[in-house]
Amino acid sequence: MDANDAKDHGHESGARGGDHVPHIVPFRAYLFVWLALLALTGITVFVSYFDFGKANIVIALLVATVKASLVAAIFMHLFYDKKFNAIILSFSVIFLVIMIGFTMFDTNYRGENDAIEGVRPRDYTAPFIKGVPDVRVPQAAAKEPEKPAATPVH
Amino acid sequence: MSSQPDGGRAAARTLEPEIESPGFHVAHHFDSADTQFDSGRMGVWIFLVTEILFFGGMFCAYAVFRSWYYDAFKEAHHHLDKVMGAINTVVLICSSLTMALGVRSAQRSKRKLTAAMLAATILFACVFLVIKYFEYSHKFAEGLLPGAYFTAEGFKTGTDAGVFFANYFMMTGVHGLHVIVGMGLITWVLLRARRGEFSGRYYAPVEGAGLYWHLVDLIWIYLFPLLYLIG
Repeated sequence: MDANDAKDHGHESGARGGDHVPHIVPFRAYLFVWLALLALTGITVFVSYFDFGKANIVIALLVATVKASLVAAIFMHLFYDKKFNAIILSFSVIFLVIMIGFTMFDTNYRGENDAIEGVRPRDYTAPFIKGVPDVRVPQAAAKEPEKPAATPVH
Repeated sequence: MSSQPDGGRAAARTLEPEIESPGFHVAHHFDSADTQFDSGRMGVWIFLVTEILFFGGMFCAYAVFRSWYYDAFKEAHHHLDKVMGAINTVVLICSSLTMALGVRSAQRSKRKLTAAMLAATILFACVFLVIKYFEYSHKFAEGLLPGAYFTAEGFKTGTDAGVFFANYFMMTGVHGLHVIVGMGLITWVLLRARRGEFSGRYYAPVEGAGLYWHLVDLIWIYLFPLLYLIG
């Protein structure tokens, strides 16, 4: 359902399809969204006075996303538009999630390898020398895996 | 009129209502007015995507710095005035409503109401900037400044709080710039609306300025909790 469901009003404007007929959102929709946004703002502020630890940011972002969805769907008309506009917006959100998500993966897990890599630093000029144990498995290094057939059968 | 079978003579004999938005015409490379309108609106949406990614970079910086300086962020954000921030949020939400109503009245060819709604939107934006001014001047007075300029005393986390304020000033500052640009855009559209250029046939500039303004509100909807409420 979009503005293309046009009835020709007889104003021949020179365009073959006749005039663009606007889709007019009912006033009550705007009013309800406005009231909902004010209510959600109140909820956001109210909830911020309690400490939920790590869930603080999740709750804040969730409420903000509900508000943003209301603005986008009704005020920005996405609910009534061609779906492609909504796809354009969701692509930006997806790319943002990837950018922030992967950046946080990087920065949050930096230094985790240092303890292991410090034990036996790999020679990067000749990384796959036969007989050199895999430094990521320190226990295997102690078991001398380069002599596989040497274990006698008891 | 020459497309009508009698060459428009019937229309000339009767009282016809004047053509709304007489200056509007469909460009030759569009097959219909609908196509022209849809493609214009889609173009604005693509621009809004670039704006989202623009602010997204700063949100990414906020996320990284918040993970590095968590304690400083937790301590510093209490120095932001929640009440003023909440009032600013309400002000922007109201401005979004008046902007949406402005687009609606342009669609309904209500010239005076359109101008009134656009003027109200600009007024709300002014209120937002005035509150911002009071917030900023309070910060400057207390030495709560970005990064190297941070001189406030009495912080358990020392000068690390300067990182928080660097984020705060950058994000709210760039957002404030977008508010000012938005005010300029809406003023331009308001002047055209007062000249009676917009109607149900042609209201694309109002719609486009409206989309931009709603995005400015959207960004503040995310800025407010992240900076003011959870640090």
